[in-house]
Amino acid sequence: MIQSEELDNAFVQEIMNEPGGEDLITCWSCGTCAATCLIRRYDPSFNPRLILHKAGLGLREQVLSSDEIWQCSACDICYPRCPKDIHISDVMKAIRNIAIREGYEPPGPFAEVDEEVCSGCAVCTRACPYEAIDRVVKNVKGTERAVAQVDKNLCLHCGVCVAACPSGAMSLETVNDKEIISRVGADGWLDQGGYLAGEATEPRILVFVCQWSIHSDTEWDRMDALQSENVRIVNLPCSGRVDPQAILMALTQGADGVLVAGCKEGECHYTRGTYLGRSKIALLETILGQMGMPQERVRFVELGSLNRYVLPRLIDSMSQDIKHLVTATV
Amino acid sequence: MVDASRQPRIEILSNSEVERVDGYVGNFRATVKKKPRYVIADRCNGCGECADVCPIEIPNNFEMDIAPRKAIDVPHDQAVPLVYAIDMDNCIECYKCVEACGDLDAIDFSQEEETVELDVGTIIVATGFDVFDAAVIPQYGYGEYPNVITAMELERLANSAGPTVGRLIRPSDGKMPESVAMILCVGSRDKRYNEYCSGFCCMYTIKNALLLKQMYPEMDITIFYMDIRTPSKGYEEFYNRAREAGVRFIQGRPSQITEDPETHNLFVEAEDQALGEVIEVEAEMVTLATAAIPRHDVEDLASTLTLSRSPSGFFMEYHPKLRPVDSPTDGVFLAGAAQGPKDIPASVAQGSGAAARAERILSSDTWEIEPIVASVVEERCINAQGRDCGLCAQACPYGAITVEPGQAAQITPAKCHGCGGCVAECPQDAIVQAHFTDAQIVAQLREFLREDPEEKIIAFMCHWCSYGGADNAGTSHFEYPPDSRGIRVMCSARMDQDFILEAFRRGAGMVLVSGCHPQDCHYITGQQVAAKRFSRIPRYLERMGIDPERFRVEWISAAEGEKYARVITEMSEKLRSFDKETIRTENDEARPSIERRLKRWKSVPQMAELMEEEEEVLT
Repeated sequence: MIQSEELDNAFVQEIMNEPGGEDLITCWSCGTCAATCLIRRYDPSFNPRLILHKAGLGLREQVLSSDEIWQCSACDICYPRCPKDIHISDVMKAIRNIAIREGYEPPGPFAEVDEEVCSGCAVCTRACPYEAIDRVVKNVKGTERAVAQVDKNLCLHCGVCVAACPSGAMSLETVNDKEIISRVGADGWLDQGGYLAGEATEPRILVFVCQWSIHSDTEWDRMDALQSENVRIVNLPCSGRVDPQAILMALTQGADGVLVAGCKEGECHYTRGTYLGRSKIALLETILGQMGMPQERVRFVELGSLNRYVLPRLIDSMSQDIKHLVTATV
Repeated sequence: MVDASRQPRIEILSNSEVERVDGYVGNFRATVKKKPRYVIADRCNGCGECADVCPIEIPNNFEMDIAPRKAIDVPHDQAVPLVYAIDMDNCIECYKCVEACGDLDAIDFSQEEETVELDVGTIIVATGFDVFDAAVIPQYGYGEYPNVITAMELERLANSAGPTVGRLIRPSDGKMPESVAMILCVGSRDKRYNEYCSGFCCMYTIKNALLLKQMYPEMDITIFYMDIRTPSKGYEEFYNRAREAGVRFIQGRPSQITEDPETHNLFVEAEDQALGEVIEVEAEMVTLATAAIPRHDVEDLASTLTLSRSPSGFFMEYHPKLRPVDSPTDGVFLAGAAQGPKDIPASVAQGSGAAARAERILSSDTWEIEPIVASVVEERCINAQGRDCGLCAQACPYGAITVEPGQAAQITPAKCHGCGGCVAECPQDAIVQAHFTDAQIVAQLREFLREDPEEKIIAFMCHWCSYGGADNAGTSHFEYPPDSRGIRVMCSARMDQDFILEAFRRGAGMVLVSGCHPQDCHYITGQQVAAKRFSRIPRYLERMGIDPERFRVEWISAAEGEKYARVITEMSEKLRSFDKETIRTENDEARPSIERRLKRWKSVPQMAELMEEEEEVLT
């Protein structure tokens, strides 16, 4: 039972004085944000409404010590839907700021830097959507040199930096390259010959899909049903997390095409992951051309919140285009 | 009120009671009892010197008994008219007030109760409401714990003209409470007390919370609610203001309040539904938003003015949507919370509506009555023949019938609404309802039962409810077997026992009588008259040898198309379960006794003609 002593009005005031926290107590707990939130799909215990309600009651200890306040990635899908026009991720940020000041630490996981491998190029610094990575001069094994440093309070474990790092110095515990490749190649999917090589009757397509771009359970179920001999779907935390090396590897090991599906520009869960993902594929197309491979073998698509259930059609369309490649050559 | 008192054409009779109302729309005569004030109104200038010298102090009911008042006092400072009155139950007759009044000489201990008769065209009932007694709910501890008070008491405590001159204190120790919990829906939205929503408690509780927040910004205020209902213009914005001002809203109905006997602080326990957890809030004071309930004397006034009451106890309007200001009695209108819980804007709107409706009558010379009124055939009325009857007057919900010894019953057409209850009750068939005569109804029966009568269900339906229900069944495409034949009358009270017998005499398989639910009756008590009559019929049928299961009574509202279809379906199934031959035999057996009973129809003018037309004439 919650008792009066726990209802800390000063805490409510503190949040409201923090930039972004002003609208906290106007929340009436309608639950629209909770119904919208994509994080709940992966972590059912996460409920933005409940966090705001607890904060509004002034349950300081409960709120600040919870893991949930660190999970909101500020994708702001909930914000345009909130009837009280509360910028929920801003309120979360205000709460987090207080937590940081009071010495609470986010639970992670965080991107980690292998300082020995890091060249200090700062590509990750520019890629990170949260400005969580800085380049600092440090003593690494006796040498003073510049290396990347991750601010744990800001990192939201999207993995964009891991994919961006040219040296392979960044890693993230949850989604690492090895794990992604093992998912791509599970059940010997990569060991079979492709359609272009004349060893399969249908083009074999690998789909990297951003886990936030699929919104409903029904849509996930339909995607699972698509998995087959010819279609392999692998979800990533962000389309910006896609690694061009992994794509090239797949293309040379039996995949005829690689489709990368991300959120629509402006709806990205990690603010600019879509931009990064799309840029990578554009670059990859050029490289494929230079290597004498058809550019049609890679493709980037955006799944907007209003065009749902389109992935099967997009896969089919890519498959058709690859078939045309053969016809055109003949 | 002050404006009203200055208007020369408005006469205010305060401290008075309406004893009796006779007459009808446009011609009412109201008998009003004016209670003595023991102060001559014309002389009293409201200076209050009498109260200053009065030695007797009694609880002040306007201040919710928190403050004292004198035995000579005005009800409250803004009272209109501002005339002092002596409370004789408490006065010790020391005459100090007489002395203080001096040359004005306004005090008159010889005043007596006075009865005045007023001739009025219309009457507006605006008697307001009472407040639910929170002590009835034991778990909230009202009356036990000093710091649990009602919102009305808070209202006085926070009022700058109140007993504490606006300084909020709590009863146990006179200190200002630093935390207040406010509980909504006390005695309302609760099946054990009042099922309805009291309507305006959300708003006044939010108002009180905001008021306290403005007076004491540091005060910790928690409102416990089930739903916040702020549907009127600007109300939602007001609610938002309270939230923004830092009032804590917890959705959950408190289960109990406990008190710390040392500090007299209170612990309110409720489940915070948004949190899914039980929460216990400590408050130095708790206020209860108690339900608005009908006035204690609502029953008396209802019978004085022939008004009906809703299930909630408030006065019932003529029609909930189309005539929300009119009462069932022509010329009597309802305004404000007397008709149902209402806030100030709604009360003012309804009051203006009632005034306009009344004016419509007052400004015209004639009054259109219903074309279906009842009239007495004087030569058939046994009361005129010196026998004491008066059954018709008892059945009339409007008091439209007067029965004087030795004279035929008199119906005032302006008061008659045409329910037909008297027509059915009259044992002599001495009353005729225009457009719904016995002959007209029996003619319908005759046509319906001309062929294969034992396969038919005769369904009597009242115009306002069950006929609407049948209509609803049709428009909603609810299917039911085609065995029923409907006969529409205005009210179930019009469904004469003779019609039911006549239906069986003519060989009907089954008979249904249907009308409004008791609280829905369009004619105040018509349904009750009918229900009483119908309750006697099964035994009567049984005595005559007719299976009482072939007769059914159902109350079906205009919205219950599904129920109408179900009742007819059930009756059809029952009818088909009977052997046709058995039905015929039963009807044949009963026929002689029914015919004996209906013999008097031969002397009823139209009925006699109808009977003669047929080959088979009543024996």
